[in-house]
Amino acid sequence: MRDFLPRPAIAPAVVWAFPAPQRAQLSNDIEVMIFDLPGQHVISAHLVLDLPLNAEPRDIEGVATICGRTLDEGTLRHNGEEFAELLENEGAGFGVDLSLSGAQVILDVPASHLDRALELFAEAVTEPSLADRDVNRHVQLRLAEIEQAQANPAQAASIAFRAAVFEESERAARLNGGEPETVGQVTAEAVGAFHRDHFGPAGATLILAGDFLDDPIAVAERCLGSWSNDDQRRVPIEDPTPAPRRALLIDRPGAVQADVRLGGFGIDRLDPRWSEISVASYAMGGAFLSRLNAVLREEKGYTYGVRMNFGPLRRGGSFAIQGSYRTEVVADALAITSELIKVDEVPFTSKEVSDAVAFFTGVSPLRYATAEGVADQAATQVLAGLPDDYVDRSLALLRSVTPEAATEAYRSIVRPDELTLVVVGDAERLADPIRALGFADLEVRATASFQPG
Amino acid sequence: MWGMTSGALTRLGYPIVEHTLENGLRVISSPDHIAPSVAVNIWYDVGSRDEEQGRTGFAHLFEHVMFQGSAHVASGQHIALLQAAGAVVNATTWFDRTNYFETLPTGGLDLALWLEADRMATLLDALTQENLDNQREVVKEEKRQRYDNVPYGDVMELLNTLTFPPDHPYGHTTIGSMEDLDAATLEDVHSFFRRHYVPNNAVLSIVGDVEPEDAFERADIYFGYLQAGTKSPKPDAGPLEPLVGTPRTETSDKVPAEAVYFSWRLPARGGSDFDALDLVFSILGHGQTSRLYKQLVRGTEHAEGTSASTMGLIGGNSFGFSYARARDGISPEQLEEEMAELIAQLLSDGPTEEELRRAKAQFERHWLHELARIDSRADVLGEYATLHGDPQLINSRIAEITAIDNDDVRRAMQEWLRPDQRATLIYRQEAS
Repeated sequence: MRDFLPRPAIAPAVVWAFPAPQRAQLSNDIEVMIFDLPGQHVISAHLVLDLPLNAEPRDIEGVATICGRTLDEGTLRHNGEEFAELLENEGAGFGVDLSLSGAQVILDVPASHLDRALELFAEAVTEPSLADRDVNRHVQLRLAEIEQAQANPAQAASIAFRAAVFEESERAARLNGGEPETVGQVTAEAVGAFHRDHFGPAGATLILAGDFLDDPIAVAERCLGSWSNDDQRRVPIEDPTPAPRRALLIDRPGAVQADVRLGGFGIDRLDPRWSEISVASYAMGGAFLSRLNAVLREEKGYTYGVRMNFGPLRRGGSFAIQGSYRTEVVADALAITSELIKVDEVPFTSKEVSDAVAFFTGVSPLRYATAEGVADQAATQVLAGLPDDYVDRSLALLRSVTPEAATEAYRSIVRPDELTLVVVGDAERLADPIRALGFADLEVRATASFQPG
Repeated sequence: MWGMTSGALTRLGYPIVEHTLENGLRVISSPDHIAPSVAVNIWYDVGSRDEEQGRTGFAHLFEHVMFQGSAHVASGQHIALLQAAGAVVNATTWFDRTNYFETLPTGGLDLALWLEADRMATLLDALTQENLDNQREVVKEEKRQRYDNVPYGDVMELLNTLTFPPDHPYGHTTIGSMEDLDAATLEDVHSFFRRHYVPNNAVLSIVGDVEPEDAFERADIYFGYLQAGTKSPKPDAGPLEPLVGTPRTETSDKVPAEAVYFSWRLPARGGSDFDALDLVFSILGHGQTSRLYKQLVRGTEHAEGTSASTMGLIGGNSFGFSYARARDGISPEQLEEEMAELIAQLLSDGPTEEELRRAKAQFERHWLHELARIDSRADVLGEYATLHGDPQLINSRIAEITAIDNDDVRRAMQEWLRPDQRATLIYRQEAS
């Protein structure tokens, strides 16, 4: 065996740019963005609607979700089963994504089937049946889905955290798909009215990405260019505001682990500190050897993994440090976390900053190498009001972040004494130790979960 | 580019070049210059089926130890160095394999190969009791997070036990038991490494912005000096017959809805029987037009969710599953009866031509998606080279699936899916 080779240096990355779309308008003013991506045989189509979730009436929140899920349950031209069969015959996948910023209707289909599949897609969006029976079933299925989510401790923790971080009167504080009290009130009539009032071409963008066999603009014009809706009402988006901090323990008697969320109100991508907080957050809880994961996982073995995440909304957002720990070490993990998140004495280093920049820069070409990746990002940009060259601009901004700026941005957003805490775990064993850590105002709540009958 | 479309069928022509180093390491290159990135993926032909009695979960624990450093790499630095080169890095363990992979800007290819080679060559030099103990705790947290602390987290284990004998390679889960994880020793790590982590038991795929000659040359620079080892024989399970005696079991826990699960022994992957059955499971339980969804979710509205799928395995047999979760007021026995009836009907009538076409169209989209990214394409190449000995198969999968006809499907169903050939698990809500 010969001597080992020295560790190779990394050759500089070549210049890369996010693909630029070709833009066009359909005759009804739907904005079209085409990304021609050779070799991408599965076309990704996203129809982005100007439909923020705060358009839902408060007493029937969830109506947008039920509407979205009922779109492909039959149209005026094809009954329910027939419609789904026609779509699946084309090898197509159909989905709806509803976020606080707006709605997306999504189609994935092999390029050879785009023509017919987009025609069916347009039928579902513009003239769905939204029949009584289908709506009622989706209401029941949504209620069951919420029960399943509440029974999963990680999901229960995220749901409670969201409710605690945003001002409770705002849409952002509640589940995108609606909560049981309001979902249960959704009727077919309400779904029909919601579709009539809010689904329309005004403010809509159609994103098409992939390796096209025919002119995609002509296909889009044929399928969606004549859609009109004189009743369409566009509702301005509601900007969320922070709720007062709180500490909450949701009881899950006998749980072997506790799921922990510690965080607060955050910022959005248009905030001048966005690139700085992205770097800081990666160093604190994004990298494998981030400050948090290096200690809590690699040194202590307390967790499978701990992360710090920033979730930007169109305006504002939230952030959380999230992890799950076996019950006996939860208090120690929290105590360690509370110390590690302070950066006053230990500001971010230039190595931490350059590692973060290299990571974000390096993963971009791959992330955006597929039709799905490009269309997803383009839709995110449309919903957040960002320019077409946002990815390139944000990478350039990242490269100019200094350790001082990253530390300063972090300190202005992450205030260790003002964070909201949510723990889902065994209250009997956890409440006192957590209070002893300084969370004297800890509220203990019975499990939000179902009661088995 | 790589694909040509004629009629409704996409014909694939991804370039795939193979080269075997003198020490037996198989290297596969598939150049693709769509992005300045490269995917490096190593499949080791070892998984939980290779574990010994009393050491369930060990292959996966070993995977964690692989990130704890080697002669020239400090603990945790494998991932840290790669992330700082712009890489997405991970590894997984399953019944038939352990794979390690990173995708990164092309300029980091040498670093990735050097790191993978260093641990293949010198893992044991850096191994300590402390590192093993730390990762044992991490893996136990993973087990709690993914299995022990979530509703229905024990279903897989219960179905494994129902479907295969306890000493069968597929008779236990990949995550293993807490007791066996606790029992793992440094000596186990040494012997597992020597038996399985040898170049002639691995496939290295390099996919992306690098030409084959270049990829092979670099592979030889970093891995060429390693010595071939003695490959351990694969566990000799042999193909088992379909289940007999309709084994069943019941469990109860704090779950939001009661449920019924069926499981089957199926033939090993890699033949038209398995492929035909894969289409059957798609027709039965994949998507809104599947028979289970149409009948139980949309029709009688007795279920809040249904699914059916295969899990293709290489060691003699594969698994097949289906399940339905009950709406309030519906007993799992009632759902069991309805699901059984649906399957009996599919068995007697066979799928319609349209159902079969639809299942093939869905397969095509899934397969094109899988190959669209260089990282998943590298993984699929490693999979087909390791389990079937031929990575070129990825270009002909759509044609193979398309060639399956209704007679193939009926024959395979008659052999493997008769009503007395399955196991049943009833999952009840624990009384409060």
